[in-house]
Amino acid sequence: MLLKLATTKKILFFGGKGGVGKTTVSAATAAACANLGAKVLLVSTDPAHNLGHLFDRSIGGKPTRIAAGLDALELDPHETVNTHLKEISSSLHRLMPTNLYSEVDKHITLAKDAPGMHEAAILERMADVVEEGLKDYDKIIFDTAPSGHTARLMVLPEVMSAWTEGLIKRREKADRFAEFVRELGEDTSMQDKTIGNADDSEQERESGIRQILLRRRHKFHHLRERVADSEMTSFVIVLAAERLPVLETVELHEQLKQANISVDCLVVNKRAPIDSGDFLRERQEQEEIHLATLSNKLPALPKQDIFLRPHDIVGLAAIERMAGQLD
Amino acid sequence: MTQKEKESLLKRIEKGLHEYYVAPYRRSFARAQRDEDDLFMLLVFAESMGIPNPAAYYTLELLPLVYDRFHEWHKRMGMERSPLDHIGCC
Repeated sequence: MLLKLATTKKILFFGGKGGVGKTTVSAATAAACANLGAKVLLVSTDPAHNLGHLFDRSIGGKPTRIAAGLDALELDPHETVNTHLKEISSSLHRLMPTNLYSEVDKHITLAKDAPGMHEAAILERMADVVEEGLKDYDKIIFDTAPSGHTARLMVLPEVMSAWTEGLIKRREKADRFAEFVRELGEDTSMQDKTIGNADDSEQERESGIRQILLRRRHKFHHLRERVADSEMTSFVIVLAAERLPVLETVELHEQLKQANISVDCLVVNKRAPIDSGDFLRERQEQEEIHLATLSNKLPALPKQDIFLRPHDIVGLAAIERMAGQLD
Repeated sequence: MTQKEKESLLKRIEKGLHEYYVAPYRRSFARAQRDEDDLFMLLVFAESMGIPNPAAYYTLELLPLVYDRFHEWHKRMGMERSPLDHIGCC
């Protein structure tokens, strides 16, 4: 079920409550797709990166080869924020006298920890990965952060598109006014007081602002189009057959629906096997009650069960074994 | 008064009348543009002025482009020095 879905999509997101096994399931799916011959990029958007722990090796901000056809990558918001700020501060330095450099840097340092900064950085890297990644890979699989964080991340492209759109509109309006002023002839009376010097430097600034805004808009549009395209992209919610994960799954599904993102599969991870003693059988009966709630709330969604194993899943060999069990 | 002088006088009157009619419009448009520019700058500096900004990460990259206008703005608003502690433009 899960593998069948994965083979038909180019972008796959795995989300759900913390601790249900998103990383393991997404890694197994990625490995299974790679085994079928696809070139797969596995990307973690969770700032608390787990891919490295899972594969028991270090994976960084650049695609790292894990197995034939499978690369992994952990998006690093710190690094992205730092690079971004460094660029801004160097272009500010060009404008400012040397004795004010420290003032500029003070402002930039404060901005580093501003709310939403890391979120925006992850979004930016996600947009890059989707745009660039699809050139080199057949499939991109995202292992996302726990529900709340991800639901927000998925609506961001839409929000940010609207925001840049708004700013661009305002700039166009300001431009039209400037155009009128120019057409009405030379401004002699208010040269200094109103529009400053409406000369080349002003127009250069204007086109600089426009360029930055348009580049942003392009990025957000591109990401939003890809993510909302249900032919290309799908979201898989991973859960455990327990009360809280079930309730959170229903909520996450609702939030994603509002963001126009199609959820096509639920993965119920760590199911209790029936044939392993009384304790686990009782557990299994309890799970059925929770899953009944789930089916009741989300009747149309297919479910894939993955059974609990006695041993931890660590390292490529264990992931490959799990991948072999997906269908 | 020669023919040439007459023409140039008429030109000057024409120019004066043109200015007379056009200037108020030009002034309103220039003012409207300045207001738009101020609003835009406010959006870019929002966070620094205590207004939550959903897009701090993105407005920040516009900062270099509006920095010089910020100085002009606070002078125009009657503030000799920059009103923001961490933006010392003068």
